[in-house]
Amino acid sequence: MTYNFDWSVLWRGQSGLWLLQGLVTTIEISVVAWVVAFTLGIFSGAVRTVSITPLRWLASFYVEFFRNVPLLVWMFFWYFAVPPLLPQPLQDWLFDHGAEFWAGVVALGVYHGARFSEVMRSGIQSIPKTLFEAAVSTGLTMAQAYRLIIIPIALRLIIPPATNESLNLIKNSSVALTIGVAELTFQTRQIETYTAKAFEALTAGTLIYLVLCLAIATTMSQLEKRFAIPGMITKRQTGEF
Amino acid sequence: MKRLLLLLATFISVAGSITVARAETTLEKISQTGIFTIGTRTGSPPFAYVNKNNEWVGFSIDLVETSILPLISKKLNKQIKLEKKESAPNTRIPLLTSNAVDLIAETMSDTQSRREQVDFSLTFFATGAQFLVKRGTPIKGIQTIAGKRIAAQQGSTNAKIIRERVPTAKLLEFPDQPAAFQALAQGQVQAYTNDGIQLAGLKAKAPKPDEWAIVGEFFSYEPYGMAMRKNDSDFRQVVNVGLMEAIESGKYFELYEKWFGPKGEVPYPLAPETKRFLQMQVVPK
Amino acid sequence: MIEFRDVDKWFGSLHVLKRINLKVSGGEVVVVCGPSGSGKSTLIRCVNRLESIQSGEIIVDGQSLLDPKFDPSKLRTDVGMVFQSFNLYPHMTVLQNITLAPTKVKGLAAGEAEKVAKELLDRVGIPDKAGVYPANLSGGQQQRVAIARALAMKPKIMLFDEPTSALDPEMINEVLEVMTDLAHDGMTMVVVTHEMGFARRVAHRVVFMDEGQIIEEGKPETFFGAPQSPRAQQFLGKILSH
Repeated sequence: MTYNFDWSVLWRGQSGLWLLQGLVTTIEISVVAWVVAFTLGIFSGAVRTVSITPLRWLASFYVEFFRNVPLLVWMFFWYFAVPPLLPQPLQDWLFDHGAEFWAGVVALGVYHGARFSEVMRSGIQSIPKTLFEAAVSTGLTMAQAYRLIIIPIALRLIIPPATNESLNLIKNSSVALTIGVAELTFQTRQIETYTAKAFEALTAGTLIYLVLCLAIATTMSQLEKRFAIPGMITKRQTGEF
Repeated sequence: MKRLLLLLATFISVAGSITVARAETTLEKISQTGIFTIGTRTGSPPFAYVNKNNEWVGFSIDLVETSILPLISKKLNKQIKLEKKESAPNTRIPLLTSNAVDLIAETMSDTQSRREQVDFSLTFFATGAQFLVKRGTPIKGIQTIAGKRIAAQQGSTNAKIIRERVPTAKLLEFPDQPAAFQALAQGQVQAYTNDGIQLAGLKAKAPKPDEWAIVGEFFSYEPYGMAMRKNDSDFRQVVNVGLMEAIESGKYFELYEKWFGPKGEVPYPLAPETKRFLQMQVVPK
Repeated sequence: MIEFRDVDKWFGSLHVLKRINLKVSGGEVVVVCGPSGSGKSTLIRCVNRLESIQSGEIIVDGQSLLDPKFDPSKLRTDVGMVFQSFNLYPHMTVLQNITLAPTKVKGLAAGEAEKVAKELLDRVGIPDKAGVYPANLSGGQQQRVAIARALAMKPKIMLFDEPTSALDPEMINEVLEVMTDLAHDGMTMVVVTHEMGFARRVAHRVVFMDEGQIIEEGKPETFFGAPQSPRAQQFLGKILSH
């Protein structure tokens, strides 16, 4: 008995179109969720390093609560548990306009926001505290010092771990198929159903994810070079910064 | 980057040229390990599901245990143990081809495209797709679902048919039955389509069965068969003979009564023409 | 200009400042010295509220830091500070380092701020480094930029926290020269340093601290010529012997 590979199933019929649609949906959900995650992460990560205790406590609560519950649970939470709390007309409107997509966005965004937050926090904490003191010593307010000095520096420092998190987000977007979002993994399964060719469909999906992630990793490393702080690397080696 | 591309190219060419070679037949494998492994469902009452007492039971499982397993033991002349693994529409064919299971016994429809990948036993149950709705909704069947939000199970033949016949319906596919039913219960979708018998099972298990209605003519024909690896006629013969003997001896109808009779898990009377169809599949000894 | 009244400060259970009383008048240059851990850095960090105090009162430019209406950012525009580790913003050019606070805090127009910055770079002796990033400057140059950055806010008081301790010996003088010029221009300065030569030449007064207390203060010639307390004698003996 042998398994007969038949790669032509990937371009026969609608398979190619489905893969493309899946890829587009994966990119859409990932990009929107990334914006949510990044914004939440920067903000809450920065807040976790300030000296205002209630704010810091709130941000810590957000991070610990959201990153310590599995993403799958959050998908179900935002899709099944939240809509019933909304007024009926709004519920119907949502269900008619891709509620599963938005539930997926919120689940991914809030979950990865908590993880971005940790990346941001450790980035900020690797900046010497005296730099912040120097900034406020010139009369900048705490908010200004963060906005103009601390966060721009931290953003440059966290590019490698943030790239990692971004790739995780893309890969995790496949969990959204559990609430019916027709993203890339969903479409590879669809091809499998129609053609009963599991290995070919999965291989196609795998390669598309791989290419997508490699493209992003490459772009991010370009970005890292482009925005590198002059002399930072040598400085870090001598342990001065 | 160049090295990565090279790696990719290698990966593709290797994947393209693999032929998964298997030296032994299914019966040889079972004989060697002493274990007969089936792939079945955990949430498809009454064919295969985990009941209130946390036991993995069902009509499909009973058929295997009472009719096929003893025959294998007899044929191999040793006591064979039955093992169950969970399978789903997306995993059942890979489970088979990768040798993880020997037989799929659940709610799998026999189709022509699937027969290109796996072999099927004779049909052990016949049903067709319908809709489960909240009682009183205007959906009456496949003619009335245009523009409506419809749930289906990922990888099911029903989803495929709806996509082809009613492209305006908003189809939402869920990986399993509980999620799809949850979406129906909360209004994310207005109807859930699946094989009529499965909807009957779902309805019977619902907290308030009277709230739900199964509507519409069968818009598909779903003959359930047991799937196995392709081109293994000795094994398929054992499975088919087991099923035929069960139908001929009446054992099949006892089991039907147990699961689908008035006191069964999902009452679903056996239509006379279905009974006749089952009996006509039995060929002479 | 600056007045400490019975100031006490603790870090947890560590009593770092003990009943400090100190007055610095306008135009005065005060050098604070003492062994490490004596609380001298903490003392000057209290002046611009980088550290808060637990009891007593500090008055800067006629304003009590304990006043509920007190705004630390406003105070800091009048009090410049220079740190041991320079702390230039590494992602900005020298010019951007200097113009940031004047434009963002005082609302100065960009052109105006740049003009001021260039004058200051001229004053600290590195007019040609405006477009350079901090990492490409020597330590001495970085510290001079830091001084220019503080001066850009036109402060009334300058605080120096060991400004030459992180520098290679050959660069110490270029920084001290800038500070000396500043002193001669009449800036009110509080300087924590071990540079006793600078103290002798420039300071109007020397304050000696040990274990969170002011042990002795006086004119440089008196302090260096005839230190009163045994601890000051011991300290001077150690640092002047080489």
